Amino acid sequence: MTYYLVIFAAGFAGSFHCIGMCGGFACALGHDPRGRTATVERHLLYNAGRLTTYCFLGGIAGALGAVLCTSRGIEVPVLNGPLDTAQRFLAIAAGLLMIAMALQFFGLLQGFHRVAVGFGGSTLAVSLRSLLKSPSPAAPVAFGVFNGFLPCPLVYAFAAQAASTAGALPGFLVMLSFGLGTFPAMLMMGGVGRMLAPAWRQRGVWLAGSFILVLGLITLSRGVLPFAAHVHALPWGPG
Amino acid sequence: MTERGDNLCSHCLLPIGLRAMQRTVNGEDCAFCCYGCCIAFQVKHGKSEEWEAAWLLIRLGVGAFLTMNIMLISLVLYAGTFSGADAWLLPWIHLLLWIFATPALVILGEPYLRETWSHAAQGRVTSSALVVLGVGAAYAYSIFATIEGSEQVYFDTATMVLMLFTIGSYIEAAGRAKAARDLEPLLAAESECATVVDEGTESRRPVRDIGAGMLVRVKPGERVPVDGVVIEGLSHTDEAVITGESRQVAKRVGSAVIAGSINLDGPLLIQSSGAGSATRWAQICRSVRDALSRRSPIQRIADRVVGVSVPFVLILGGLTVAYWAQLMPFDQALLVGLAVLVVACPCAVGLAAPLATSLGIGRLARCGCLVRDPGTLEALARTRLLAFDKTGTLTSGRSRIVGIESDGAGTDEVLARAAGLERHSEHGLAQAIIMAAAARGLEPVVTSDVRAVPGRGILGNADGQPMAAGNSALMGDLGWSLAPALRERARSLEASGHSVIYVGWAGRVHAVLSLDDTPLPEAHSMIEALRSLGLHVTLLTGDLAPAARRVAAVIGIEDMQACLSPETKRAALDQYRPSYEVVAMVGDGLNDGPVLADADVGIAVGSATDLARETASLVLPPGGLWMLPWVIAVARKVRRTILTNLLWAFGYNLVALTLAALGVLQPVLAAAVMASSSLLLIINSLQLSRLPDPALSVIPERPLSAEPDSVSRGLGMPVMAGPAIERS
Repeated sequence: MTYYLVIFAAGFAGSFHCIGMCGGFACALGHDPRGRTATVERHLLYNAGRLTTYCFLGGIAGALGAVLCTSRGIEVPVLNGPLDTAQRFLAIAAGLLMIAMALQFFGLLQGFHRVAVGFGGSTLAVSLRSLLKSPSPAAPVAFGVFNGFLPCPLVYAFAAQAASTAGALPGFLVMLSFGLGTFPAMLMMGGVGRMLAPAWRQRGVWLAGSFILVLGLITLSRGVLPFAAHVHALPWGPG
Repeated sequence: MTERGDNLCSHCLLPIGLRAMQRTVNGEDCAFCCYGCCIAFQVKHGKSEEWEAAWLLIRLGVGAFLTMNIMLISLVLYAGTFSGADAWLLPWIHLLLWIFATPALVILGEPYLRETWSHAAQGRVTSSALVVLGVGAAYAYSIFATIEGSEQVYFDTATMVLMLFTIGSYIEAAGRAKAARDLEPLLAAESECATVVDEGTESRRPVRDIGAGMLVRVKPGERVPVDGVVIEGLSHTDEAVITGESRQVAKRVGSAVIAGSINLDGPLLIQSSGAGSATRWAQICRSVRDALSRRSPIQRIADRVVGVSVPFVLILGGLTVAYWAQLMPFDQALLVGLAVLVVACPCAVGLAAPLATSLGIGRLARCGCLVRDPGTLEALARTRLLAFDKTGTLTSGRSRIVGIESDGAGTDEVLARAAGLERHSEHGLAQAIIMAAAARGLEPVVTSDVRAVPGRGILGNADGQPMAAGNSALMGDLGWSLAPALRERARSLEASGHSVIYVGWAGRVHAVLSLDDTPLPEAHSMIEALRSLGLHVTLLTGDLAPAARRVAAVIGIEDMQACLSPETKRAALDQYRPSYEVVAMVGDGLNDGPVLADADVGIAVGSATDLARETASLVLPPGGLWMLPWVIAVARKVRRTILTNLLWAFGYNLVALTLAALGVLQPVLAAAVMASSSLLLIINSLQLSRLPDPALSVIPERPLSAEPDSVSRGLGMPVMAGPAIERS
């Protein structure tokens, strides 16, 4: 449980990063002319769509991790640890990816950032504008769903974490915790607009970066350390 | 706003075919070849104010939302969360899934259902019927299971299969449009807008509204919309689309520019010299549009196979369910049947040919080579014999002086005197003499009392002496003497097919000029290149045998037939059919019209009107004979791509179908497999857009000197740019 709380906290801190891009969308979704309840409903629908996509990505990533691990589930006899080789490789790859994403939050590895974000995102974002203006009550859900697929280093980092759990269900739970973590900030953005000072936003981004960095290091250590058992015994071992 | 052919998909520019979908986007009527193109076009071009584009996205978004939630709930179910103590919740969870799945199915399945319905009304069963039937069966069974309270429901499979089909067709359509983006400028020539400058104000007008004398501004990077003359500016242009050669041509004030060429580096102001829709560029675009909307023989066969395969797959699906139902629970047998139906969807087979042919036609058109229809490319790829016409095809079609035999008089004197007479003549051969004199810097001798003798030659006076140039009959009439050696030489020249002009003055014939049509400089290397492609080359000409033999020897053709009338040319070509099956004829389209039309592939050089008259099915740009080996290589590449596509599509389907029938392939995986097979075909076809340009090394530098060389020194190069003599 602690593990998922940590992910939730990381998502919460990371959501200050979201304000940059997705917050813009949330603002654009704006106020409903029919009043406060309608506005809240609009933003809940939007976030529900976003959350669904995240969970789905988590489930898929976890399932992929599981496929990778079970298809060549060779135990390493020397180490005799609880992790087989495939799972170790997965942990190393996911850990490195998370560390790379975390470094971006501190303004490092900008080239990597362009690769991660430039992947067809702009076309999708442009075509989605029509949804923001649509009066249909279903439009925010659809918008949220597509929004979830927009390239974002934060989502990639947690999808990598989800994959490293090597199971569809834990992967889904990782992304669910993360997605729920981003709820407060995004709802706030929609309701209150730009209340946060830029300085606070920057602090939030650094905090998110630190969370992801720590999570990445732990994931990496699961793959690298010879006695992985003791890391697994930490409060935040999945499952 | 672009205007396209009526039969082409608004999005991917492929022929629409039988699965047409009509929609109104941004207030315009659009037609699409499939559901994927319909989505992709609206996502890409739908304006944000337009309700329909947004509505489509909303539907897809909500469909995805419901499907993903169904997936997630099912995930929790499969993890065994509701077993044991929580088992009482299970029916309620199933009910929830049912509630989610119903709108998802309606939203995502509606286009497939509608297509199936409209086709069924026409008495046809198409691939969408497979999807509808498979998904419908899974849904119906799941409802039954929910009501009955059984443990397993398959709402997730039903919705996920639909979702994957929708996403797959969208990605496929986007890929196809990417592949076809090179075709876009070719189809938009006349409806494209040009910047017209009128009394200092600039306005954007469609090219077809531009008339002669209008001023047009062309920015760097833009395509020159009309033929005209540069009034202002300095730049380079690339005229590959007209001449086939991709290279920079410098343009300054007074230079002529051709419509369709690309302005590379400086702004130009152009005065149009004709109507915007009368340029060769506009003609190219019209012919490409025509060609794209026709179907090739391979495509017709593939379509027929698809039509037959759908009922076959339905039966196979039924048999699979019946077989597995005896060995396992009915619901699992049903899933195996669903996988069979989903994986056998023959979308890839239908895609194998049109994309490859469209890309091939576009690739050729961008180098100025026009193809009448996709069938031409196929025939050209299978051609094993190429027959050439001589005059105007392998030769320049214009006479030039190839030798001067004189009886003591200097070459320069002979030429200066002959030019002095011939510049008063209208006769075609006269031009050759004037050009030869001019090229050597000779001043024509001043002549007076010039008189033409029809059918004989021309007479005049210079420096008080009578002077004459003409045939032997003229010299006979005048009674002028001719040295026996010169007479003998002239006879042998005439016997070998040369045109001979006697030049005399002061009562005696002083010299004999021999004139001949010369082979194109690129002819020899082109024939070599064709041979290396494994083609047999032959010469069919109406000329005399000696002239034909001489040209054939120079360009390296061994097989030839001379003295043929257009009718006997056809007969000669027919003689080759039994041993070479597919034969092509290369001619000039004017005299060889019937032969070109009769050949499997009629190739004309230079005149695009032949395409419209249906005499030729392939037209090379003027002076573009050197591109022929490249064109054949492209046609072969297209054919090879189509064949590998078909092989791949059938092989993939067959393997996947077997796996599905054996129960190895999950329905959801089968849907993913299906989408990826089409993508692989697109990737395979995409290599056609990366074909290299025709090799420029084939054309030798054209020499600028006009030294008339003697016959013994071989045949020279054509030097005249002015009016020439058509001799065929």
